[in-house]
Amino acid sequence: MSISFIHRHILEDRMSGYEPSPNVNHLTVIRRPVIFSAIAHAGHEVSVAEALSLVENIVARSVSPSDWLVVSQSTDAGTIATSLAAIPGLSFAEQSDGQVLMALSGPDVRTILAKCVAVDLHADVFAEGFSAPMMICRVAGNLARTGADTFEIIVPRSYAGYVFDELREAGREHAVTRGFGE
Amino acid sequence: MASLITCPHCGRRPREEFSIRGDAVPERPAPAASEEAWHAYVYLRENPRGKIREYWHHVAGCRRWLVVERDNLTHEVFAVTDARDMANGGAA
Ligand SMILES: [Zn+2]
Repeated sequence: MSISFIHRHILEDRMSGYEPSPNVNHLTVIRRPVIFSAIAHAGHEVSVAEALSLVENIVARSVSPSDWLVVSQSTDAGTIATSLAAIPGLSFAEQSDGQVLMALSGPDVRTILAKCVAVDLHADVFAEGFSAPMMICRVAGNLARTGADTFEIIVPRSYAGYVFDELREAGREHAVTRGFGE
Repeated sequence: MASLITCPHCGRRPREEFSIRGDAVPERPAPAASEEAWHAYVYLRENPRGKIREYWHHVAGCRRWLVVERDNLTHEVFAVTDARDMANGGAA
């Protein structure tokens, strides 16, 4: 079987080895997410945030008051670009090949992430749906809570191997397994 | 964490997420100001002990420039303001 270059994920080589089935604590690498960087022009921050919240099939990860990462796991880049282009006061650029999206889930997710980030992730202050830019394993990335026990991590592609290894190491005592997901 | 800074956008964050970009006290002279004024702005710095005002860049967070007022003797932080708000005559 041949695999075309464009579909070869940066973490492909780290997925070999024997792991029969996912454990309760599991690290999923999303194979082909669509990720855009979006920045509101000065004075358009509030209207752009509002408009982004209305675009279907995307989530807008918070980076700064005028800056988001637009993520989709269900729609193609062209459709999203068309939606973003219709928002006044917004500049955007596709980052799908420049960023890596991972999801860490399981009952011990908070204990594992406590070794990786210096931000309080208690549900009272970092609730479901919340996202923020932060240092993750000493790499500047974006962390989002997508469920009670599920977090999504976005890091630049060139650091993804290192962050992946660190997450695996942090999760070793909780038997974290890993694999690709769609 | 040794040192925690409360970013107005990101909340309480470790010092490692920031890059300290220097004294925020000197004011940029007019383009046609004298050479002495420009020399002083570019090269001359006070080295006070106690309350200081610096530019901090939140590189691993919101990537905004902030003005941090703190005490370099006690490490007490008095205020953290977005540099744009500060330039527009905002708080602190
Ligand atoms: Zn910040």
